[in-house]
Amino acid sequence: MRQVAVGEIGGLETLYDRYHTMAYALALRITSETGLAEDVVQDSFLGVWRNAGRYAETKGSVRGWLLAIVRHRAIDAMRRQRAGVALGDEVDETLPAVLTLPDIWPEVAGRLDAEQVRRALTALPPAQREVIELAYFDGLTQREIADRTRAPLGTVKSRMRLGLVSMRQQLARENDGAIAVSASSNGKKGVGLT
Amino acid sequence: MTMTCDRVRELASGYVLGALDTEEMLDVADHLDSCRLGHPEVDEFGGVLPYLAASLEPVEPPTWLRESVIAAAEADLVARRRVGKPSERRFVEPAAIPTAIQSASAIGAAASAGQVVSLAMVRASRRRRMMTWTMRVAAAVAILVLTGTGIIVQGNLAKALKAQQEDTSLNYALTQNDTRTAVMSAIGGSKAGGIAALLPTGHVILKLYGLTPTKNDQVYTVWLTTDKGGPTKVGSFTVDDSGIGYLEVDNVPTSPSLLLYVSRESNDKVTQPTGPIIISGVVSL
Repeated sequence: MRQVAVGEIGGLETLYDRYHTMAYALALRITSETGLAEDVVQDSFLGVWRNAGRYAETKGSVRGWLLAIVRHRAIDAMRRQRAGVALGDEVDETLPAVLTLPDIWPEVAGRLDAEQVRRALTALPPAQREVIELAYFDGLTQREIADRTRAPLGTVKSRMRLGLVSMRQQLARENDGAIAVSASSNGKKGVGLT
Repeated sequence: MTMTCDRVRELASGYVLGALDTEEMLDVADHLDSCRLGHPEVDEFGGVLPYLAASLEPVEPPTWLRESVIAAAEADLVARRRVGKPSERRFVEPAAIPTAIQSASAIGAAASAGQVVSLAMVRASRRRRMMTWTMRVAAAVAILVLTGTGIIVQGNLAKALKAQQEDTSLNYALTQNDTRTAVMSAIGGSKAGGIAALLPTGHVILKLYGLTPTKNDQVYTVWLTTDKGGPTKVGSFTVDDSGIGYLEVDNVPTSPSLLLYVSRESNDKVTQPTGPIIISGVVSL
């Protein structure tokens, strides 16, 4: 990433080679259209290239940062398409704060393979998995999810919260319980699992 | 609405997923910016998100996408070196290109840009065999056949006449002694092809076929990288169902080494290539 930040093409090539299949899979899952997914992936890597200097290593993994950009761009592209607006040529110069959240389990990232992560996701109760997928992959708000699923808004909020907590629990289990789930290791107030 | 810490904890899951209403998203963000207590729950929920993406089966994109990403980054790098920083980038009208080139030269950025240009050209040239007159004629014939036939089949007289005029201009340019040409080759899986003719006067004619039709405000934009840097925007064109693209522009800068490439953009206001690079060609004598 430091190479990318100082404008070394080799750094971008390495980044692309490492993450392009995951980035493309995410863009394709959100857009369901190869042409649009290709545009999103190109825009995203170009966004990383142009904004690498603003990437804060302490704030999370490169992978998490890149995937957040891909998701943001893909959902934006879908919303523009639904509204009949062409995909903007602008590349995000700044990302919403919510996209720069830390990847809190860098140690887990290296251990869990995709199959284990899938298992953690599919272990969620279907209703919880549904609201998380509608929010993450389809970019719907809680209110839109409530309309779509015909569930009360309060129920959607509860399912979303419990779903993320459960997902975290499942990931920790997949990682042989190496991660303490009930609270952060530094003594801060944790998510809470009840 | 003023957010309390309890309210933020309640909204944290929706916030990290971007699933709150706009006002709530802004209120939570404002609170997090100013809250001295901190909200670890936001980080903890947010930490789950990358794993949602990781649950997907990896999908291999088309191989040309890598080249397209790198070409766009190289173009961006050249532009950055020319103007100092991205925010100083400006649109260069074709008519003003010579002046802009002089300005770029004056700020002493051309030398460093030239190294990148050379690299791009070497990469492009590796993908192509040596240009010969035989290839040049073959490319022109291919365009005449491919574009002409499609239009005649469509039975659109106006289009056929327009195509005929375009072909006449292209043929004339190709038969001039000092005309430089570029056989345009698709990058990656695209089926596009074409030819560009560059007259010593700076007049450029570009005809391409096999392009995906443009939609809404989409355009194909032609970019030029010279020894002095780039990319310089040459012009844009739209493509209908025939898949044929045509551009004729005056006052295009020339230099011993020239790289032409075409990107697909969401509108014609772009000042730097941001969309996928579809096709490119090295201008040779």
